[in-house]
Amino acid sequence: MKRAYEMLLRLYPRDYRESFATEMSSAFEEASRDRRSRGWGAYARFAITELAGLALGAGMEWLAKLTTDASVRGRYLPDRLLMRPPGVSWEAHYGGAGQHVPEELGMAQEQAEVLVNRMVHAISHHDFRGARLYSDEERQARENLRILRAKYQINN
Amino acid sequence: MRHVVTETKPLSEPVLLILTSLADQPRHGYALIRDIESLSGGRVRMSTGTLFGALRRLLEDGWIERFEQEDTARQKQAYRLTGVGRTQLQVELDRMKQLTRAGFARLRASEL
Repeated sequence: MKRAYEMLLRLYPRDYRESFATEMSSAFEEASRDRRSRGWGAYARFAITELAGLALGAGMEWLAKLTTDASVRGRYLPDRLLMRPPGVSWEAHYGGAGQHVPEELGMAQEQAEVLVNRMVHAISHHDFRGARLYSDEERQARENLRILRAKYQINN
Repeated sequence: MRHVVTETKPLSEPVLLILTSLADQPRHGYALIRDIESLSGGRVRMSTGTLFGALRRLLEDGWIERFEQEDTARQKQAYRLTGVGRTQLQVELDRMKQLTRAGFARLRASEL
């Protein structure tokens, strides 16, 4: 069931997935545990509602993405793959825009950027303890990224 | 701070329930699902697809915002009402109160 849920999640636009997929999976898992404890009938109804809601939601999100100006949508759902990461030159980032990037590497890049954004958010809310945690995780993510770049022989 | 409400259309039920649920404290996805089920007396069980679609639209409209909680795991991002969201909820509840009063008044009048 979880696998089916995660497959359907892939139908959503990428920027939406980046912002909500982890939370949605987490909420789904908790709800799933709760429904299973109420018996198989309740669980089956829950499963059908969830999967149908997800498929319908994906269609609606694509519609919203296609009918909303990218600059407006970018204010609350930034497309991080289109954003230049800090410390990377414009030429290096956009010059390789047509280059194929392995999925594993793209995910690692996204993860590092998400952590930077969360760190900045934490600092702006004076949450310095949280910022330190994000900073540590970001350092690990950057190291992972470096290893993957070496593996695929891709420079910055 | 006073917020100007430009939207006067009645809110959809999922939106009204989400705003009501966030009125007293920030909540994350599953907490919202449970609270909404409780608020509606078990009648509304929102799917995650519906909930997060509505949250995305509310973020877009600036009625809610993400809220970082120290003691919350990362996969449980909390949301809270903004000033605009609170005003929208207030306007909708006033509208419903007015309609409810009018409805009861007519029912009483018809019983006389």
